[in-house]
Amino acid sequence: MITANFWAVIKKYDFSFFIITSAIFVVGILNLYSATHGSNSGVVSNLYQTQIFLFGFSLFIGFLISFLRPSTLARFSWPIYWVNIGLLLLVLFLGIQGMGAKRWILLGPFRLQPSEIMKISLILGLARFFTSKRYYSELNLKTLIIPSLFAFIPALLVIMQPDLGTGLVLLLIFFMVAFYVGLKWKTIMILGIIGLISGLGMYQFGLKGYQKKRITAFLNPGMEPKGLGYNAIQSKIAIGSGKFFGKGFKNSTQASLNYLPENHTDFVFSIFNEEHGFFGSLFLIGLYLVLFFRFLWLAQSVTDVYDSIVVIGVMSIFFWHTIVNMGMVTGLLPIVGLPLPLMSYGGSSLLTFGICVGLATSISNAKTLF
Amino acid sequence: MLQQENPVKDYKSRVTIIGNIVVFSFAIILARLWFLQIHNGEQFLKYSLENILRKENLRAPRGLVLDRNNKILIHNVPRFDAIIIPQYLRNKNTSLKKLAKIIDLPVSRIEKILKKNSIQARYMPVVIKKNISMKEVAIIETENFKIPGISVRQFIGREYPEKEVGAHLLGYISEINRKQIPKLRKKYNYVYRPGDHIGQAGIEEVLDLHLRGENGHQIVEVDALGRARRHVGADKLFKGIINRPFKRGSNLRLTIDKDLQMVAYKSLEGKVGSAVVVDVETGEILAMVSRPSFDPSQFGRGISHEYWNSLITNENNPLLDRNIQEHYSPGSTFKTVTALAGLEEGLIDEKTEVKCKGHIKFGNRRFHCWKRGGHGKVNIYKAIKESCDIYFYKLAQILDIDVLAKYANMLGLGMKTGISLPREIPGLMPTKKWKKEYTGEKWQRGETLSVVIGQSFALTTPIQLAMSYAALANGGKVYRPHYLKEIFNNDGEVVEKNSPELIRSLKFKPKTLKILKKGLFKAVNEKKGTAYWFRGRGLNMAGKTGTSQVIRIASDKIYNKCEKMEYKFRHHGIFVSFAPVKNPKIAVSVVVEHGCHGSTAAAPVARNIIDQYMRTYQPETRSEILAEEKKMAQRVSKQ
Repeated sequence: MITANFWAVIKKYDFSFFIITSAIFVVGILNLYSATHGSNSGVVSNLYQTQIFLFGFSLFIGFLISFLRPSTLARFSWPIYWVNIGLLLLVLFLGIQGMGAKRWILLGPFRLQPSEIMKISLILGLARFFTSKRYYSELNLKTLIIPSLFAFIPALLVIMQPDLGTGLVLLLIFFMVAFYVGLKWKTIMILGIIGLISGLGMYQFGLKGYQKKRITAFLNPGMEPKGLGYNAIQSKIAIGSGKFFGKGFKNSTQASLNYLPENHTDFVFSIFNEEHGFFGSLFLIGLYLVLFFRFLWLAQSVTDVYDSIVVIGVMSIFFWHTIVNMGMVTGLLPIVGLPLPLMSYGGSSLLTFGICVGLATSISNAKTLF
Repeated sequence: MLQQENPVKDYKSRVTIIGNIVVFSFAIILARLWFLQIHNGEQFLKYSLENILRKENLRAPRGLVLDRNNKILIHNVPRFDAIIIPQYLRNKNTSLKKLAKIIDLPVSRIEKILKKNSIQARYMPVVIKKNISMKEVAIIETENFKIPGISVRQFIGREYPEKEVGAHLLGYISEINRKQIPKLRKKYNYVYRPGDHIGQAGIEEVLDLHLRGENGHQIVEVDALGRARRHVGADKLFKGIINRPFKRGSNLRLTIDKDLQMVAYKSLEGKVGSAVVVDVETGEILAMVSRPSFDPSQFGRGISHEYWNSLITNENNPLLDRNIQEHYSPGSTFKTVTALAGLEEGLIDEKTEVKCKGHIKFGNRRFHCWKRGGHGKVNIYKAIKESCDIYFYKLAQILDIDVLAKYANMLGLGMKTGISLPREIPGLMPTKKWKKEYTGEKWQRGETLSVVIGQSFALTTPIQLAMSYAALANGGKVYRPHYLKEIFNNDGEVVEKNSPELIRSLKFKPKTLKILKKGLFKAVNEKKGTAYWFRGRGLNMAGKTGTSQVIRIASDKIYNKCEKMEYKFRHHGIFVSFAPVKNPKIAVSVVVEHGCHGSTAAAPVARNIIDQYMRTYQPETRSEILAEEKKMAQRVSKQ
């Protein structure tokens, strides 16, 4: 009975998200291996093994989550959201220091990074909010105030850690979800102007010294070759030197010689471009596009609004990370420190993306399984 | 559950817009990648290569210098500097303290050096102490793992095994100074680079272009921190980048005999002076030493303050090569030249006799013979043998100064010998014209009397005396003195061979030369000869002593004992000789400053040198001579 049921489930189970993400991950793990194999430090050169383990773990979590009914998820959306806000507050007071920022809290043997999970919690909260109230029609400035608070409060808490990248991603996710739900074009324009003004204000008063410097460096990368703009320049050199077909697997000179710091985290895309060139990028971006359109296709094929919003939210997490990371390493955007989904090294982000894939799969399965 | 009929349908248009946003965003990224990789790819590739390549210079080892018997005079040895790579220092204070103790340098001094070099590229070693001892190297090497950042670095040291012996001839090397670069470019048409070590004196200077070889370079891959990682190999990325190996300098074989030179140097122990030995038939220099001297090894890599100060404050100037860079009145050694002029001009002959009463009056001035009471009847042999001044004063009265100068010049006196060494001075042979030009006054005949005995204006360098006596010994051939036999590369192939250069062949009457040789032989080998007591055994030496006055001595004081005078006023002792008389091989010129007499001070040096020469090169002739001397002694004792 159970076995028969199991096979029935397997037959109807939507593996597409797992397959696409795994494909990107395979590219990512090869690239990570290439970027780190030349390191003198044994810890760094074995990072790819850790990454494989972390990805397996994240997939497993995602797989478990895929068996949650979306309706159950909807019921727990608010508790999840508020608990996460509580954790963010806790980080500010009890967090562990690391690399100049307070981002973690210790939960027994685990290090928890509430800002990572906040991305998902925000989506769940927003989806719940937009479905419970009758916000089906267009959003204007007035009706946007309350839902925006749901995004701005955690975003502020995250920026205060300080983690500008994640904070901005939270806001971007909110805007994409809001746009999907029905943001008026007029409102978008007004928000754009407000955003510009507040952005300037924040630069002036709200940013830490190193954050300001990063933006200055972005605007003027040639300023100090070994100073602020150093990463930006080295990243561009790495990418540009790849030309059309790249220098070849394991042939990155920039990575193996430590010209590019953080070459296994934020700058993996530079190394990928150096080794595989424009051709490689076409392939990789193609994979990402397949993933994003799979999300979009799912979003419009479900019948439940809550589900649809969650899918768009999940997609926006992937999308913003991808586009901001690629934009910053190619020198189009300031270096804010966001990982490239499934390519960059790091357990927390892998787990987030694993959960996202689980959520999408769960929603997809809901159409047929439950 | 559904409040509306599939409300999600309302979002369909928004999904399309989001889809467009996604596509548009990636289009921008791809456009940017196109711009970076295709449009500017070539340039970025160049940057990425430049990023990681560093040119490291490879210093070519200088050539070796060997003596005529292939014994080493200059070679290269590994030496070490104590260095710090500041970025590797862990516990700075204790590390510096430890290093300070090992190399015996105050911590404050090390800190000062570090501070001075704090702006240089990272991970470049800072040299703290140059040329440390092997003991210090060993300590640092064994302690190295305990004090990271402190290490030793090897370099090629220039070593002169004989140290002070012959240092002036060999010269030394040191780092080029900025002013020299344009000067040398003009002179040699060769572009030296800052940081090059070049010969600054002696052979090292003159033959620098041969000795220096060619520096090479290798391209090394470095990481972002400037640490060298590996040498660039045949990687396809580095196509077209080639290393250039260094080319060793050429080696030199000199005419010097190391052992002979050592004897010369040791014989001058405790004295200020010089000795030069030349081959009379070729002009080859067999030995050339000057004292006090210096240790050229000390110059190679930053001479120490203390050592440099000790050299330049030494009033005897150890850096001066007395053989070619100092001139002295030739004293009585010049009487040979005067005799030559007299004989050749027919003013005197073998039978000419002069009565020496110990003094002579010329004009209203009284000229003294060195021997109070005089020599009695004097012919040319006795005049040379016993160095009778009166004989030559008499000759001076009928000998024109310009004629004398002509003969002196023919022998190369009062002019540069043309030896290929820097800063040779000419000395002086006065003429009427010279005096007119130099002082504006007319030549006084009385002055000729001083010149014929080698005083007053006449000035010669020791090497000139050696070359002139060599010419007398070999029948009138004046050679350019030289020290280089051949230049050969590292495969032992001779690249350049130096042959004797005959400057002048003088046609003197054989009779004249015979008389002079006989006189010079008597001066050494017959009783009452000025150098009789220093004749040695088995040498068959001919020679002439000389005393070079440092100050003009009042006539009432000329018989005062020289040794009682203040050191700096004492006469210089000179002795010039050649041997063996029957078939002359070498000529030796010795000067001992403030040695008072040519006989006591200088002659023993020449005797030791010739003795060493005869033992090494003429053992058969020597035993023949010894046998003859023995026979002679028996005959004398029988009488």
